[in-house]
Amino acid sequence: MRVLRRGTLGTLGTLALGGFAILALSAAPPLSAQEDAAAAGKVVYDRWCAECHGETGQGDGSAAASMLPRPRDFTQALYQIRTTGSGQLPTDADIRFAIENGLPGTTMPGWPNLTDGEIDDLIVYLKSFSRFFGQGPAPEPLDFGSDPGGGPAAIEAGAAAYLTMLCEECHGLSGRGDGTSAPTLEDWRGLPIRAADLTEAWVLNGGSSVEDMHTRMLTGLDGTPMPSAIDAMNSGVVSPDEVWQLAHYLASLGPREMPPLREVIRVGRAEAGLPADGEEEAWAGVEAFYFPMSGQVVQLPRNFAPAVDGLWVQGLHDGSDIALRVQWNDPSNSPDPNWDEWQNKITAALDLDGAEPIALDSAGAPTARPPDAVLLQFPFEPPEGTDRPYFLMGDAREPVYLWTWDSETGVGAGRGRGLDSVEPLGEDPVTGEATWEEGRWTLYLRRSIEVESDGLDFAEGAPMPIAFQAWDGSSAEVGKRSSVSTWYYILLEPPASSTVVVTPLLAMLLTGAFGLVLVRRAQDRRRDG
Amino acid sequence: MKRYLSHPFWQGAIVIVVSYVAFEWVIGYVLPVIGVASAPVPSSVILQYMLTVLVGIVLYMSADEARWKSFKKPIHETMVARDRKTLRGILMVALPVLIGWLAYQNVRPSYAAPATLRSVHPAPPNQLTFRGETIELTGLENPLHEEGSIEEHLAVGKRIYVRNCVPCHGDLLDGQGHYAPAFNPVPADFTSSGNLPQLTESYVFWRIVKGGPGLPREGTPWDSAMPAWETILEQDEIWATILYLYDQTGFTPRTWEEEGEGGHE
Amino acid sequence: MRSHFWNRSAALLAVAAMAACGGGDGGSSEAADDAGEATPAAAAVDPSTVGTISGMANFGGMVPTMEAIDMSAEAECAAGYGADGPMAQSVLVSEGGLANVFVYLSEGVSGAPAASGAATLDQVNCRYTPHVLGVQSGQDIEISNSDNLLHNINATPTENRGFNISQPRAGITSTQRFQVAEVMVPVRCDVHGWMQAYIGVVDHPYFAVTGADGSYSIANVPAGDYTLTAWHEEFGTQTANVTVTAGEMAVATFDYNAEMMGAEVPMGDALVLEHGTNRIRVERTQ
Repeated sequence: MRVLRRGTLGTLGTLALGGFAILALSAAPPLSAQEDAAAAGKVVYDRWCAECHGETGQGDGSAAASMLPRPRDFTQALYQIRTTGSGQLPTDADIRFAIENGLPGTTMPGWPNLTDGEIDDLIVYLKSFSRFFGQGPAPEPLDFGSDPGGGPAAIEAGAAAYLTMLCEECHGLSGRGDGTSAPTLEDWRGLPIRAADLTEAWVLNGGSSVEDMHTRMLTGLDGTPMPSAIDAMNSGVVSPDEVWQLAHYLASLGPREMPPLREVIRVGRAEAGLPADGEEEAWAGVEAFYFPMSGQVVQLPRNFAPAVDGLWVQGLHDGSDIALRVQWNDPSNSPDPNWDEWQNKITAALDLDGAEPIALDSAGAPTARPPDAVLLQFPFEPPEGTDRPYFLMGDAREPVYLWTWDSETGVGAGRGRGLDSVEPLGEDPVTGEATWEEGRWTLYLRRSIEVESDGLDFAEGAPMPIAFQAWDGSSAEVGKRSSVSTWYYILLEPPASSTVVVTPLLAMLLTGAFGLVLVRRAQDRRRDG
Repeated sequence: MKRYLSHPFWQGAIVIVVSYVAFEWVIGYVLPVIGVASAPVPSSVILQYMLTVLVGIVLYMSADEARWKSFKKPIHETMVARDRKTLRGILMVALPVLIGWLAYQNVRPSYAAPATLRSVHPAPPNQLTFRGETIELTGLENPLHEEGSIEEHLAVGKRIYVRNCVPCHGDLLDGQGHYAPAFNPVPADFTSSGNLPQLTESYVFWRIVKGGPGLPREGTPWDSAMPAWETILEQDEIWATILYLYDQTGFTPRTWEEEGEGGHE
Repeated sequence: MRSHFWNRSAALLAVAAMAACGGGDGGSSEAADDAGEATPAAAAVDPSTVGTISGMANFGGMVPTMEAIDMSAEAECAAGYGADGPMAQSVLVSEGGLANVFVYLSEGVSGAPAASGAATLDQVNCRYTPHVLGVQSGQDIEISNSDNLLHNINATPTENRGFNISQPRAGITSTQRFQVAEVMVPVRCDVHGWMQAYIGVVDHPYFAVTGADGSYSIANVPAGDYTLTAWHEEFGTQTANVTVTAGEMAVATFDYNAEMMGAEVPMGDALVLEHGTNRIRVERTQ
């Protein structure tokens, strides 16, 4: 019933509901136009949307159980992404925004394949799922004021406003979603939901621009624990300008777009010696490479909702040893009993694809608390041509060399012959340690570039294949329920070679000399001639 | 302007500049914009093309005595004339620097990934085994065309696709699922005219049943994250998914008659 | 048992006396006042046409022990409780009376005065006060924060539009309304997972919440035959038929015991998530 215009409604507002409905119908364009649009919308919906959102719009499509957060339930008309106040219905433009852009960080993609007209029809149909649309006046966007501008001072003021508004209770002091309340958060269905990791703006449901973040703070995200800050602002806890500054601060917490994928990790030479751990200041100047991770969705049981969505990798070497620093965000330092409830809820909420759920004891506590873990894998023998072992930890024919770490047993090395076949290597060629701080793991790994008869030699200047896996214990990730990457490369920078300087110089000298000779000869000939 | 256009030297110079622009930018970046499938030309290939152009120009200019003379004239003038001393000086510095820079580009350490040649559609085998059962691929048709209701098959195919394939191949079937960025090579784009319409249903069946691990070497089986779906799905579910892929994208599969003429690339 | 009986009777008498004296003054009982109940003041009620319903929610047998709440995360709140610390509030029994039962006329009401005045919901020491609140549809609910820390008030109705508002300081007040009847609307604070309140929304002013002693009273009810429903967060719903005679007091008593624990508790139109199939059913309760 989006055809009801506000002007008409203003005068009708005082009338009884029955009379109101009759009048409203008479004021509306022919119902058939709406019906036509809804019918056209249904065709689009059934073709593209129904398998996740369900035929009746309840967010209960066939694939929904493997998704967390679940697909939207249109019958409740609880829309996260709005420009209207908390609990209010979205405007048509809001629904369009979500369809066009998708909800980053969820399984909802943007739909560039749909035409404007198709989206219009779809909106009419989506609204028809809920009894809330058409009751009362059309939703109106809030007044968001205007951005007083960014810059370092604004960001600093925004950082203060972050603490004033106590955002860290859920999002954590560094914004990585590791606040005290994070383990108990639920969406409106009672399913576990993460406090957003504000340092990974590219997976924020409502977009990563300053305007997006400002809007989300004032409207809240309906159906999630994220409240609207509007009453706090109107009560003077923060000024409207400070809310904008807070948005600038949030936008400054990390890259807005997913870092571009670079296939080769460049491991530079540490002239001043290798850092001795992951905390050393020297790492700050080392180029970091980001690798997005996917759930392990290749072999049963699959993980369709992985917790670790990417790793940052840095490397240095000194000609004899290589040191790697791997960092990733994880709001829980598993095992941690504070996250028991979270682990139980994840286990109950997700389709585990045949994996055995972690049993609960009589008091309702989980009988196992898996650790967090990461592993790096390399081919066992130097690669021949482009041949490599299978990217999921090799196979019986071609094993992989694993650098392993988990939060209980620490760093180790192993031989992998497939996802469920790891045997530890006898010696301890890989050393290192990990620290967890404010929702982020920092893992330091170190090994000799060459280990006698070990099978893994990092020849300087030659790209070595590398792949990753990660687990979040408190999200009940064990065994094959992991995050994975395919093969990338790691390359140790060779010692500075004189050819890099000599060859261009020689080329310049030769060209210059040749030019001089040519010119001199031409001039001599002319003088002679 | 006209003076330049009619002068052999400037003609040569213009041909060189135009050729370079065409190789470097037009082929790689302009053509895709106007809808022609294309990709950037590798620098080694550009170098080869440019040498060919240069040789062509020299051959053309030297073919005629008068033209050759007037072609050489500006070059000679620059080398000897008093009033071109400044230009001469600039060139004497600029050319060696340019050559030096090119040499540096060649010898500086490269941090690029080694080039991999990967066949996107390697030749299929004649037969495959599905959980031990041998199936002849040659001449194989999708059995669901002949049995049951196509609507029901499509509904099954859609359910299978959304449950299993969407994370990588995407809701839009464009290979841009939410986990696609984590995979190299990227998941297949079913909306591309280079994929489904070029393939028979039996080929797609083979690719789904055997997945990444079942690729021949030229398909780099170690890289592909495509599961071998025989471990997860039944044959009919796979055939239904194939029906859905073609129905949802609007493509028609290649038939065995066409297959006989063309074969796989 | 014997002393319980006398206590209850005394409470009932006190309530009746209050109601009789209160006249047209909204008819809120002392017990309801304790619970922060705000019954809209009915405008100019003719005493010759209305009566009162009062009674008790009795609890018999072993009282379930309430679990301690771990408020260590908010020392400021924890300090507000005695040596035993804060306990859960789902079953509060005192002298045989069950508190926080929402009692309302579910059938028989024809026409009702419009809502007036505001109901209040406060947050004190990381708990809602009251724990169970009744309001009339359209009535203002003033939600305030007496704790100088972050609460969010997340109301998740299914018949009404919800809201989720942050109050990061003491002294902030938010005013909200529910437009249609819905028993009950759950309210929670996501920052403090233990904080839970329920708001019963009905489209008339004839409701009450049992006080600490289990008593309730609904005044100014037009004479007639009604169905009275009592809702409790652990014990579900019970109904009783009452006939209100002008100028008199009708009595309706509800009995509870520990065996009823875990009964199906209607919550507006309950949305039930079936794990495994992931279907979400709407369970119609009204």
